[in-house]
Amino acid sequence: METTLSSGTHLTSLSRTTGLAQLRAFGAIIWREYLHFVRYPTWVIAFIIWPILFPATYIFSSFALAGPSGVGVTRFLEVAGTDNFLGYIVVGTSVWMWANTLLWNVGFALRGEQMRGTLESNWMTPTSRFLFLLGSGPVHAVSMLMFFLFTVVEFRIFFHLTFNANLFSLLAVFLAALPALYGLGFTFASLVITAREANAFVFLVRGIVMIFCGITYPLAVMPPWMQAVAEWLPPTLIIRAARLAALNHASLEVIAPDLVRLLAYGAFWLALGYLTFSQIERRARLKGALNQY
Amino acid sequence: MSDYAIEALDLVKKFPRRAPAEQTPAPKNPLARLFHRPPPGEFTAVDHVSFQIHRGEIFGLLGPNGAGKSTTIRMLCTLLEPTSGTARINGYDVVREANRVRQSLGIVLAGERSIYWKLTGRENLEYFAALYHIPPEVARRRIDELLDYMELTSRANELVEKYSTGMRQRIVLSRALLARPPIILLDEPTLGLDPQAARRIREMVLDLKRQGHTILLTTHYMEEADQLSDRIGIIDQGKIIALDTPSALKQRIRQQDVIKMEVAGWKPEMAEAIQSLSGVSQMVSRYLEQDGIWEIHLQTGNSRAILPRLIEHVNTNGTHLVNLNIVVPTLEDVFIHLTGKALRD
Ligand SMILES: Nc1ncnc2c1ncn2[C@@H]1O[C@H](COP(=O)(O)OP(=O)(O)OP(=O)(O)O)[C@@H](O)[C@H]1O
Ligand SMILES: [Mg+2]
Repeated sequence: METTLSSGTHLTSLSRTTGLAQLRAFGAIIWREYLHFVRYPTWVIAFIIWPILFPATYIFSSFALAGPSGVGVTRFLEVAGTDNFLGYIVVGTSVWMWANTLLWNVGFALRGEQMRGTLESNWMTPTSRFLFLLGSGPVHAVSMLMFFLFTVVEFRIFFHLTFNANLFSLLAVFLAALPALYGLGFTFASLVITAREANAFVFLVRGIVMIFCGITYPLAVMPPWMQAVAEWLPPTLIIRAARLAALNHASLEVIAPDLVRLLAYGAFWLALGYLTFSQIERRARLKGALNQY
Repeated sequence: MSDYAIEALDLVKKFPRRAPAEQTPAPKNPLARLFHRPPPGEFTAVDHVSFQIHRGEIFGLLGPNGAGKSTTIRMLCTLLEPTSGTARINGYDVVREANRVRQSLGIVLAGERSIYWKLTGRENLEYFAALYHIPPEVARRRIDELLDYMELTSRANELVEKYSTGMRQRIVLSRALLARPPIILLDEPTLGLDPQAARRIREMVLDLKRQGHTILLTTHYMEEADQLSDRIGIIDQGKIIALDTPSALKQRIRQQDVIKMEVAGWKPEMAEAIQSLSGVSQMVSRYLEQDGIWEIHLQTGNSRAILPRLIEHVNTNGTHLVNLNIVVPTLEDVFIHLTGKALRD
């Protein structure tokens, strides 16, 4: 070894914890997430194949139901308030994908690190542990914009689908959805690193939510009690508002009631998520759940 | 500034014991399973451990698998909270001043998966430098310096997944050194490395001591502990059973002769007969798979007196002695002397 490291007799750490340093750490977490995103080639599949594959089964069954002359569409128009059933399905499925991607990337951020073996090396640094959760979302939230772009282009080409979107309202929907999705993500993230069985539970919840929130059909076709439950689920509101903004060129005033409720749910879930995380983080230190898979 | 770099006082860590699966099958229903709790019970992984490590010292924690070495390290680096007892790193309490503790420490935990394989070596260091709150200009210089020191500069921009195990371990060590922390914790730093890579890491540890770092290292290789440590704590079943300099530890069995035999066709029943020979204080046996023979370690107050009877006992019923040596006691013999069992089996 020819090189020696610079050091004095009294070693003092180079680590300086300041607000700015925490912010820089937050940036580094997003950057790490970005590098992983682009280096796993699955994103190509996610962007090019999924936009068309995921809604495909619903679309073809809806073609069958509509009949060759489209007689079924009158009924659809009655309950859904639009005869653009193709657009209805596509917006439903792609907004669901967006919410899902964000929610589960946050929800499984810690679990993923735990399985990879890097969770402890992150948690033994002076960076606030909450930042690791917060930093896992932005890359995926933004990357999904690419997903939307592909969706629009692919459906234009293959199905001649046109949208009548108010982009400003649409952006407002996505922004209003963030707190609720993050809050839910924090809650799930905390559960899945300590309780082994939480994984199964979380998948169950996802399956149930998918039925309730009307991804490809209007809520009106469900029994009243299911409709009542659906009103409490953030994805229902996100999808409904996004449809109005993307297909009916709805202005902000039209979707405002749903957005306000989304923000209220967001405040609730963020608070709950933060509390759960703080509790679980302490519990993990006491019970030693971090290094056990 | 505290007098000691690391101070552990009566550290205890108890884990909830999980009952064996067959005793209490988890419910099939996933919802019920989420709320299912195994019957309560506790297991003490670290049992009233105390030690004080001076600044600039290399302290080795030596013990067999499951002794509680990693659990002790995890408490010192704030990943686990002690059930009772306290510890201070650089004078800071590991529970109440966790952030100060994290700033003072560089840590290598066992296993090469603690860095990101999909990032390059340099990206890993840049990422962790930000997490360690090192100002960017300082970090940049420090990373270049470390890559150079570890002889990784030419490979720094390759993904870690393309590295050899030894190179990965050098990145892990570089990460521990990023903040130039006064205190370094190394958990089995040479585990799984080939002999040459392991020797290189050991040289670096000695070099770090020369630069003024305090080092706590765990290992179950007694040669490693012996070669590197100024002082050694021998830990078994969560307890420190001896703590001294390597030579003082070996002095403890100076009056003992250590006999190492290799035996073909050994039968476990023979152990009793040999142990009951007067003058034999400890005996452990282990099967050497690649040679198909047994290695028997004996400790005795007087080898001359028992050798004839010993050889007679071994050379019976198709069993025979292949080799016999009277050896200089090693730390492993100290461990056998203290616990009656081998450090590795
Ligand atoms: N999070 C945990 N929950 C329950 N038990 C644990 C946990 N971590 C460790 N243990 C148990 O505590 C004991 C001590 O483990 P520890 O990892 O500290 O041993 P070690 O000395 O590092 O051994 P090794 O050489 O195998 O690394 C072991 O019996 C282990 O199974
Ligand atoms: Mg260990």
